[in-house]
Amino acid sequence: MDQLTQEETQELRRVTLRLSAQAWGVSFGLLLGLGLFVATIVLVAKGGPNVGQHLGLLAEYFPGYRVTVVGAFIGFVYAFVVGYALGRIIGLVYNTVAELRP
Amino acid sequence: MSATDPRVAGSIHPGGISFHATTPTGPTRREGQPMSRTAPSTEDPLALAFAPLHKLGMGLGVGTAAALAVFVLTAVPLLRNEAPQLDIGLLGAYFSGYEVSWRGAFIGAAWAGFSGFVLGWFFAFSRNALLAIRLVVWRARADYMATRDFMDHI
Repeated sequence: MDQLTQEETQELRRVTLRLSAQAWGVSFGLLLGLGLFVATIVLVAKGGPNVGQHLGLLAEYFPGYRVTVVGAFIGFVYAFVVGYALGRIIGLVYNTVAELRP
Repeated sequence: MSATDPRVAGSIHPGGISFHATTPTGPTRREGQPMSRTAPSTEDPLALAFAPLHKLGMGLGVGTAAALAVFVLTAVPLLRNEAPQLDIGLLGAYFSGYEVSWRGAFIGAAWAGFSGFVLGWFFAFSRNALLAIRLVVWRARADYMATRDFMDHI
């Protein structure tokens, strides 16, 4: 098989992967959203005298969030939004830096 | 690769910026021809599949996100002007000097930025290293497969 020319090899070496900021946003959002959703549902399913004593403190940041089935959906939305924002920031900064310093 | 490089054209789309070579060094590849007859376009899925992550970019990206998260986490109870029920001051166990105050918010952001940078950089480094190792293995296997019937020709 023929080898790449030196110019071609150098060009390939300069290429770094660009991220899709939107895809990272959705991925992070789903990760955080589903994480909080599952954590809430597990506590609700386990039950007990004081369900979600500590997880419920998230209501300080996510108004309306409770350790209940309905609260799990509310928490999912909040966590998805936060995760989406964080993922977009990572993608945005990454692409900017990768463009400025290839 | 710079935007002024005449051999390379760039395009900006919602998912980011991509580049492709504009001056192929050989004829367009046809079925059955070796790949190296065509310039390695960076829009080639095969080239992009093995493109390394930018370590500095990933470090700064994760660091920025982590710093913002800790700053907002600290600022919310401060803006409400009430004692936080969630004791985020415990972060001080890991981030020296951190406390729930405006000064602590900046100290926490700096610590989180540093930690995030290290995590992001190491993530990109590990991913690139694993990809490189896999490429070496694949290449060695391909070389072996290409020469395994060597004795049959003697």
